[in-house]
Order: sequence, then C-alpha cells, then structure tokens
Amino acid sequence: MSFIEITQVSKHYGAFQALHDVTLSIPKGEFVTLLGPSGSGKTTLLKVLAGFEPVSSGGVLLEGRDITRVPPEKRNFGLVFQGYALFPHMTVEDNIAYPLRVRRRPRGEIAERVGALLKLVQLDRFAGRKPHELSGGQQQRVALARALVFKPDLLLLDEPMSALDKKLRHDLQEELRAIHRTLGTTFINVTHDQEEAMHMSDRIAVMNQGRVEQFDTAHALYRRPVSRFVAEFVGKSNIFAGRIDRGGGGQLFSGPGFTMPVPDCAQGEALALLRPEDVEIAGQAPMDGRIALPVTVTSSTYSGDRALYTLSPPTGAPILAYGSARSGVHPDGAALFAIFAPENAIVLD
Amino acid sequence: MSRVIFWSTVTFCTAFLALPLLLVWPLAFNTSSFLTYPLEGLTLDWFHQVLTQPTWVNAFLNSLKVAVGAMALALVIGGLAATGVILVPRALQVVLTGLFVSPLIVPSVVVGVAFAYAFGRAGIGGGYFSLVLAHAVLGAPLVFLSVLTSLRGLDPNLDLAGASMGASRSFRFRTVTLPLALPGFAAGALFAFITSFDEVVVALFLADPGSTTLPIALFAGLRDRLQPSIVVVAVLLSLMSLLFLALLRRLQMRVAAPKS
Repeated sequence: MSFIEITQVSKHYGAFQALHDVTLSIPKGEFVTLLGPSGSGKTTLLKVLAGFEPVSSGGVLLEGRDITRVPPEKRNFGLVFQGYALFPHMTVEDNIAYPLRVRRRPRGEIAERVGALLKLVQLDRFAGRKPHELSGGQQQRVALARALVFKPDLLLLDEPMSALDKKLRHDLQEELRAIHRTLGTTFINVTHDQEEAMHMSDRIAVMNQGRVEQFDTAHALYRRPVSRFVAEFVGKSNIFAGRIDRGGGGQLFSGPGFTMPVPDCAQGEALALLRPEDVEIAGQAPMDGRIALPVTVTSSTYSGDRALYTLSPPTGAPILAYGSARSGVHPDGAALFAIFAPENAIVLD
Repeated sequence: MSRVIFWSTVTFCTAFLALPLLLVWPLAFNTSSFLTYPLEGLTLDWFHQVLTQPTWVNAFLNSLKVAVGAMALALVIGGLAATGVILVPRALQVVLTGLFVSPLIVPSVVVGVAFAYAFGRAGIGGGYFSLVLAHAVLGAPLVFLSVLTSLRGLDPNLDLAGASMGASRSFRFRTVTLPLALPGFAAGALFAFITSFDEVVVALFLADPGSTTLPIALFAGLRDRLQPSIVVVAVLLSLMSLLFLALLRRLQMRVAAPKS
C-alpha cells in the first residue's frame, strides 16, 4: 500500500479548473518532485496536500486514512515555504523550537532536538541570530530545520531553491538529498526547474494544465516520455513530425527527408523524438545503416567539454546535436551530416 | 528651481503651522497678567499657579483618567475589529471597514448630541463613564486603522507556517500575529489617547462639573479670565504632544525595521 494516495482530485476557482482528476500514489520514504511550468497546478496540489486549499472533488489518503478534510494544524506535515516564512521576531533557535513548543514538549527535549537539527543543517553557530541577519541559503536551512524538527510524516517543499543563486542551489540540492537519505522522511518538492527535479528526486510527476502527464523516474521521463509536452519539458529534444506506415518487413516512419524502421505502434500521423546526445556530427555519411541527413551549422554554443549545435536540414525543423569540441568548433555555415541510429528514436503517439 | 519650490513650500507650511504656537509660548513666562507683547519681565509664577490650583490639577487628572479609560476600551474594540476584518472575504472587508471608521466621519457635534441623548435615556449620562464610552467610540477607528495597516503588512505565509507546524489559531495569534502587529496596536493606542485627551465637543455635551476635562477647563478659562495661566496649560499640552509625536516616530521605525 502506498503512503500517500491522491485520488481524482479536482480543484476549481470559479470557471478556472486548476486541477483535473489528479491521481498519484507516493510510496513511503520517496523523494517526489512535482514538476511543471507556472500555472500547471503543481503549487495548488501542494496546497491541497498541506491542507490550505479544500478540494472541489476527490480525496487524499495518508496510510489509508482519509485526510481530505483534516485542517493543516492537525496533519503533522512539515512545510518549507517559497519565501521561507521565518518568524522575523524570533531567533533561529526559537523558530526551530516553535513546533515543539506548540506540542508542549519538555524543555530538555526541545533543547536537544533543536540542537540536533541545528547540527543537521550546519547552523550551530547561528542559533541566536534573527532571520534577517542570515543569508538566503541560511534562511532556507532554518526553514528546513523548522519543518523537520517535529518529525513530520511528510515534508512539503514549495520551490525552496527559487530565491537562491545557481551555485548555492546546487550545494543545497546535494544537502537536501543527503538529509532525505539520513531521515528517510517522505519528501514532496515543487519546482519548475527540470534540472533540480532530475538531480534530487526518486520520481517526478510532470504536470501540465492541471493534469499529471507522467509520473516516473527521471530516466524514464527522459528516455520514454509519454507525450510531446514531457519530451520537451524534460531535457532538450528534437521532434520530427511524420507518419507511420506498413512497409516491407515492418513499420516505417517517414520523417522530413528520411525513412526509418520503428517498432510496432499505431499507424498514421506520429512524432519521433531524438535527444541531442544521440545525434552525431560528421563530415561524411557512414555506411552502417544509420540515418544521415545533410545539414549546415546555423549556430553553436561552446561549453568547454562539448558544443551544442543548431543544424538546419534541407526540410523540417532545426536539429540540436552535441558535438565534441576537443579540436575546435565547426564554424557556422559548415556543411556536415547529422547521423543517428533508428533504435535511439522514440515514437510519441 | 525645484529646490526653491521645495524650500519655500516647507518654510511657508512650517511657519503657518508653528508660528501661532511659537508666538504664544513666551507669554507663559510674562510677568504681566495680560496676554500682550512686549514682555514686561520673565517669571515662572504662572506655572506655579497652574500646578497648584485645584481647578487645573483636577481637570488634568480627569482628562488623564478619561483618556486612559477610553484608550484601553478603544484598544480592545478597534484591535478586535481589525483582527476580525482581516479574516473575512474582500467584499465584506470593505463594508465592515466603512462601518468601523464611520465615527471619524460623523461630525463631533452630532456624535455629542447622540451620546448625550442615548446615555441620558439609558441612565448613564454625565460623568466619567459616559465620557470614557464616548471617547472610546471616537478612538476605536484610529486603533482599528492602525492595527489593520500593520496586519496587512504581515506576510500571510507566517500564519500558514504556524498552522503547518500544528499551532492553533489562538496560539498563532498570541505568538506570531500579536507580537508582529504590536507597533500597530501601540500607535493606535497613542492616537486614541491623544484624541480623548484634547477632545472638547463631545466632552462639553457629556461632562458634569465633577468630571470637567482639561480642554473644557481651558475653554472656560478663555471666556472668563484671559490670563497667562491658559498659555501655560497650552505650553504643557504642546510639550506632551511633542513627546507623543516622538514616541509615534519610534514606533513607526520599529514597524519598518523587521522588513529590512
């Protein structure tokens, strides 16, 4: 049985529907990320889980118990807010002790737990500071400690990294992942940053227009996206529009300027997805059964370890491809071949 | 050019507001018993007289009692009103705010007549109690607005954060909302105190000889015998106002500080 069971949750705001029949089951101890662009309903779903927003229909179960109508203060869920929402008039120590004071824990236990959490988030030296005397990253850690100190059943994180700079974000992702491993608490994180989602999560729910498009591991989302939206939102992609027909000895996908065999799937209009790292660039077409399209370089982005090229084929949309940059970058306008193996292509329905 | 406009405006306004006050102050130290320039000599006799004469001392004490009572009552009414209004939907907020602020808009004379009549019918007319009640009604909107402003300035997520950590509404109010809105409550209380302390119109309708307040005594003194002692009272009141102004300034700085 899964730990959190979200069944057919819908949420309407007047005529606008923020959530459409969302169903998700989250196993205990997992790090799950709700990923989507703004307006996809991810934050609304988090608020429903926290108990701040009543659902229009559907329900939420925690270990089989219906908590749909349980108020937030009775849920025992930790929450890290986007702006941290630290109490400005309390010290770091008092902020972290707050949930324990609410629960009337004995003084000794409070001191001990607060000390342990301060150590966990490496803020021992800042116990007596007020929140405004801390940096953004430190405030974020206080918020995290405060949300974990009372051993919540579930930790909800609302875009916890959005206010931090890139370097700090990376460090904190590592730290958050380590804390998750140490504590084993179930984490549900909300973000619009697909890299953050892929770095930290066991599983990711990709959301779009109030629906969960796909709920799977990062690898599955990247290699086997179920829709064009997921393919384009998670990682970089080349999408070829074409059609699938029965040909000699199997099915054939006819794209712009090429035809390739594909595994069994529905015939008719179809999209084929190719990740940029599966496209090779060479000066000559190989003779090994791979597809080779003549292209010219329109632009390139050099990043030291490799270069990302935008290539234009004679017909169809531009193609993105990674190329080795060890011996320099191909100049714009260079005539090359974009080469890929049919088995690396992913057919989207 | 803009600097010229700025400074001339500032100078003109300051002169207009402060000059009458400043002109009258030296007369409190004049040896002559007439309110005229030039000064005949300097003396503190009038201060001595005011501080020892029972009329002035009693009036001052009456005012103080009424103002403190009215402030306390206004603080409770206005504070509760603001805390409640912030929780209701937007449309209702507008209606309720209008209602709670209405005592500021109705002319004092009308309020005075209404209270005199209503209290008389209820059998509580005249004396401290009616004055405290009436002044509390006048002061409550000021507390209400001041507290409402400081509550609006709070991050609504702070309350949600408290809820997510298991705190009940009353616990959150005591530990988060109230401490953070305290400067608003204090500023409101100060406004209510000052309003009551120098309120004369409603007081004229309600006060009986035993509960004469300072503004009424001042008013009466102005008609009966035009003496420097009146100016002395005015000087003392001005000094008190300045003190309150400084206090308010400090409170405003405290309100602004946590957001930085």
